[in-house]
Amino acid sequence: MSLLAYDFMQRALLAALLTGLAAPAVGTYLVQRRLALMGDGIGHVAVTGVALGLLTGTSPVLTAVVVATLGAVLIEVIREYGRASGDVALALLFYGGLAGGVLITGIAGTGPNVLYAYLFGSITTVSAGDVWTTAVLAIVVITLSLVLAPRLFAVAQDADFARVAGLRVGFYNVLVSVLAAVTVTVAMRTVGLLLVSALMIVPVATSQQLARGFKATLLGAMALGCVASGSGLMVSAYADVAPGATIVLIALGLFACTWPLGALMRRRQRLAAPFSTAPEPEEHQLAHDEQDHQHGPDCGHRAIPHGDHVDYVHDGHRHAPHGQHYDEH
Amino acid sequence: MTHPPAERSPTAPVRDHEVLLEVRDGAVALGGRPVLRGIDLSVHRGEVVAILGTNGSGKSTLVRTCLGLVPTTRGEVRLFGTPPSRFDAWHRVGFVPQRATAAAGVPASVQEVVASGRLSRRPFWRPAGRADRRRVAEVLETVGLADRAHDNVATLSGGQQQRVLIARALAGEPELLVLDEPTAGVDLESQQALADTLRRLLASGATVVVVAHELGPLASLVDRVVVMQDGRVSYDGPPADLPPDPQGGHHHPDVDSYARATDAVPEVSSPVDRLADRAAADRRAWRQE
Repeated sequence: MSLLAYDFMQRALLAALLTGLAAPAVGTYLVQRRLALMGDGIGHVAVTGVALGLLTGTSPVLTAVVVATLGAVLIEVIREYGRASGDVALALLFYGGLAGGVLITGIAGTGPNVLYAYLFGSITTVSAGDVWTTAVLAIVVITLSLVLAPRLFAVAQDADFARVAGLRVGFYNVLVSVLAAVTVTVAMRTVGLLLVSALMIVPVATSQQLARGFKATLLGAMALGCVASGSGLMVSAYADVAPGATIVLIALGLFACTWPLGALMRRRQRLAAPFSTAPEPEEHQLAHDEQDHQHGPDCGHRAIPHGDHVDYVHDGHRHAPHGQHYDEH
Repeated sequence: MTHPPAERSPTAPVRDHEVLLEVRDGAVALGGRPVLRGIDLSVHRGEVVAILGTNGSGKSTLVRTCLGLVPTTRGEVRLFGTPPSRFDAWHRVGFVPQRATAAAGVPASVQEVVASGRLSRRPFWRPAGRADRRRVAEVLETVGLADRAHDNVATLSGGQQQRVLIARALAGEPELLVLDEPTAGVDLESQQALADTLRRLLASGATVVVVAHELGPLASLVDRVVVMQDGRVSYDGPPADLPPDPQGGHHHPDVDSYARATDAVPEVSSPVDRLADRAAADRRAWRQE
């Protein structure tokens, strides 16, 4: 434990643990909204922020927070108004961010090593000031993620319902994006901009292998993130390897361990599921006789165009409507 | 597209009760395409109204407009006497949106999903209290899912998930319950459970608006039917006087409704709007052929 006697190591551990708690907390909401790669995208945009900091001689962490937040809000605006087209627009933003960052760093005249430290983390060079910034930002992210959990959950689960429950859906969506942007810059020194998304998403993926509820997934992911970043830092210090990569690989290792367990649990659940109380053939017969189901474009049965009409896949065979009954095709 | 003018039946018996939901001369366009025209509808306290119609007839858009989820291009909407944009007593409204599943990207227990229904009743900083938990247990009992409270909602059948969404709407103890196709793709057992739940709810004096393809087990509960056809109200009156299906028991909507974009989803295929407009024009041209 002699390594922990050093100041820089204590600072690094504190930064790692706080990052490990904050990143999966925000990541859970991103996964819930099926935006798992958003953290990665914001990380790319933040590269431009870091480069601007290097160019202007101000704190790269500060400029990264500002640029990443602007990027996150922009992404949210595109998602809101661009509809299905959002992913293309997002890709434009992501690659623009990365390319802009590399270009500006070149203009600033700093060597590639400086940018490298931000891309892949350099946790052992964290200064006392950096630790304070990281701690304050991480605590804000964790607090908001937990206090607003019921509302953030409702908005991500079902936006229409949330609107009619009187929740300001747009506001909460932007809030999650901004929290993600802040988290990205917090984790920048620990795992680096290119690996930050892993710390946001992998613990969540691990946690949801075993959890049945949202709260369990959220808290489990935060615990796993903490374990991965803490142990990853220590391992990397003793083995003298890159800390960011070690943290991410440990998180992935935890996922690899829990996945078979989760698969086994899901299988047992399927086997334990009771048979439906209404026997299938009877229900099928009723559907034929009483005409209580009308096949249509969104009736839940697969539609197959068949010559001049459309068949609907129903209980493993194809129905074609004919007058008051169905033909089997 | 030429259709015979909508035939207005004699209006349903006017009630003296308070008007909870009102649309006057409402028109709605989604993505530039007119979806609703000339809508006049008022729902009084204590009524059970079924909104029927084929796919694309605008029935879903109609209720979404009433709740302020879709903006009107013309006319006025009133929710408890207030325009939806200025309405703030959302705990008085329970909504069951049209969804294939109650699940999202992360596991969520049945209890957690239903507990969202209590959010309109408390400020953001207050965690769920004892009253909230009691009400959640109560509604889970009502829809017959008390034994599944801690299960992941994704492991439930389609009908059970629909019951979870209904329980969520009921959890807020609403005065007005709006259900968008709660019976679509749902097994008979769950349809029956839904009808039983609504019957109990009506005994306590609730007002219900339900969008459906067909009435099914709900028929005995409904006291007013509104039929939508091509974005207009084609019938509004008691279910007994409902004219026979003009399509003579035909089961598949005509080809035209396949070509038509489904309601509530404006189709845009690219960040550049002009491309989307062109696709829409292509679709129109194809339809006219």
